[in-house]
Amino acid sequence: MRAAIVIAGRILRQRLRDRSAIVFAILTPLGLALAFSVLIPNEFSSFHTRFVVVNRDGGHVAGILVTDVLGSLKAADVADIDILASETAATDEVRDGSAAAAIVIPEGFTAAVEAGRPAEVRIVGGEFAVSVEIARSAVSRFASSVGSIQLMVATTVAGGGAPDAETVSAAQVAAAEPGPIAITDTALEQRQANLATFYGAAMAIMFVFFATQYGALALLADRQVGTMSRLLAAPISPAAILGGASFAGFVLGLVAMTVMIVATTLLQGANWGPPALLAPLVLTAVAAAMGISMLVASVARTPQQAGSLNAIVALSLAAVGGVFIPISQAPETLAMVSQVTPHFWFLRGIDTLAGPTATLGDIAPSLAVLLAIGILTGAMGLVRARAALVAR
Amino acid sequence: MAAPPIGRDPGVEPVPRTAEPAVTPPPGREIVLRCVGLEKRFGSRRAVAGVGFEIGRGETYGLLGPNGAGKTTSISMVCGILARDAGTVEVDGRPIDIGTTEAKAAIGYVPQDLAIYPDLSAVENLRFFGQLYGMGGPALRRRVEEVLDVVDLRDRARDRTEQFSGGMKRRLNIAIGLLHTPKLLILDEPTVGVDPQSRNAILESVGALSAEGMAILYTTHYMEEAERLCDRVGIIDEGRIIAEGTRRELVDLVGGTDKVSLTIGGDGKAAAERIGRLDGVGSATAREGAIDVLASGARRILPRILEAVGGDGVSIRSVEVVEPDLEAVFLHLTGKALRD
Repeated sequence: MRAAIVIAGRILRQRLRDRSAIVFAILTPLGLALAFSVLIPNEFSSFHTRFVVVNRDGGHVAGILVTDVLGSLKAADVADIDILASETAATDEVRDGSAAAAIVIPEGFTAAVEAGRPAEVRIVGGEFAVSVEIARSAVSRFASSVGSIQLMVATTVAGGGAPDAETVSAAQVAAAEPGPIAITDTALEQRQANLATFYGAAMAIMFVFFATQYGALALLADRQVGTMSRLLAAPISPAAILGGASFAGFVLGLVAMTVMIVATTLLQGANWGPPALLAPLVLTAVAAAMGISMLVASVARTPQQAGSLNAIVALSLAAVGGVFIPISQAPETLAMVSQVTPHFWFLRGIDTLAGPTATLGDIAPSLAVLLAIGILTGAMGLVRARAALVAR
Repeated sequence: MAAPPIGRDPGVEPVPRTAEPAVTPPPGREIVLRCVGLEKRFGSRRAVAGVGFEIGRGETYGLLGPNGAGKTTSISMVCGILARDAGTVEVDGRPIDIGTTEAKAAIGYVPQDLAIYPDLSAVENLRFFGQLYGMGGPALRRRVEEVLDVVDLRDRARDRTEQFSGGMKRRLNIAIGLLHTPKLLILDEPTVGVDPQSRNAILESVGALSAEGMAILYTTHYMEEAERLCDRVGIIDEGRIIAEGTRRELVDLVGGTDKVSLTIGGDGKAAAERIGRLDGVGSATAREGAIDVLASGARRILPRILEAVGGDGVSIRSVEVVEPDLEAVFLHLTGKALRD
């Protein structure tokens, strides 16, 4: 054990000295966190936008659209709704980006609806596609309700009745009521990391491979510079040599992860979940990365070859594991394949920790799979590495 | 440890050597290394075939042979860094193998390749390897200073070794092997690539360590080093020890023959064949620019040898008749030169 720590200390000293540890364990995570803080503003993680409304109708139905439908977006703190007097002013605000979209209710809108004639609401969209889509969805939902009212009134008229004010009002009230079936999606609402956390976690699990590789690379470097023969001649077991290298890689991976977590939390407001649950998830993820790095290095002959192979494996696993595209948006086949990667299980664990009531049991599948990957690949890599040492 | 500095100007008197050591460690002398029947194959190639020898306390044993003879493979098995196919090794009475740790603590190993970390300083290299041998604290710091003095690197102790010259790296390589004061020091061709001054100093230091009681296993393909340093020499070729003994015993194997060295111009192959057919000539071997002849009463038949060289565009530049040395022994035993 003492020999393994001495060897790990020597490797870490060398990596600090050639700055590779600083680059991959500290600067890269910090740089990524800073890049996210620029590219993904904090507001994005708690979405908010602004719409301007021009109500040239001023009628009863237009009032419902403004007060109830668009007002609900304001009540939910999704959007600010400001009423403007002219369509030109509203369009200018959209053009200069101070409003995401303008909703223009033309004169005669209420009358057209009540008479069962085609009515129009114009949406002037800007460059914020998501915000424009929200405005369009809100107005579309209202248009559907209006369609229901018009159908009811038309039915009354077809049955010989007259569309009196009471009928129209009752239809409007009925349309405004919530539907008989309410659909809520608990999983998505409560267990999805926000954007800052997702990208922070995704980059962390991808780059941890570049930090952990230095343990395995040290073994190949010892063979290359000739120091391995001296290590083997020392009164220490081959297991101590392999253990020291693994420990050094693990420490570097852990530092890289921790820097990323702290940096994205402070700079981005990322929510990584309760530290007591995050810690085992991070430890098992680093173990998985360490194991894979060791296995990859065991098939290489030189540190340079191992570094290139490790980069290919790290980026491939990242692509398959949902680092670049959330698995929820990926094709079904890719979603299935992704489950063999540590990236998938780490990101799933981070998603789970986003829930307010996450427990150790909730992340147990992620912990178990990550640990299994670490043990399996690490054992294979170490067995191969030991065989290479002994068979020199 | 009072070994003379390896890197200093070698104005030191050569270490006195016993006139003729015993063929085997004298009875009663503590045996530090005993290896028997070492064998190693790499695929179909038999690299080492039944190598065995003993080294006593304070004795220097040389493994002399050309490159590829099996020297490094043999000592790799002795050090427990290479798995052997057959045979046993005992160091200080304890068996040694890849996984053993106790017996390895008695060995100081100086590999042929420079086994130092270029991005660490001399002190950092020494401390690291010292810690692997269980050393630490003030004792390690003191010992590091001592060996830095021995190899004359104290003033460069804090510099990264990548800035060292080849000779300085070699000296540090040896210092690491000495650090834990081993009972058995194994040096694998420690003077390869070293300037003559450092080489001389290294040889003196090795002699001093032996005089202090350290058992030394020294591999080399330089006949002069083996003759100067070693109490006994094992001549190894193609994985086998083909002869073993003191220098005198080995030279006696050649019989009353002398060695005639001819320096020539041109290709001496045909001339060597003609010389080889002369009465009284044991062997004649041509190498680049020279012909080596082993002959009984060489001075008497020298005119006929010179006559046989004539023709074929070969010119004689110098002639030297010397008593047989280990080079001659190797030539006699194998029919080829040590540096072929």
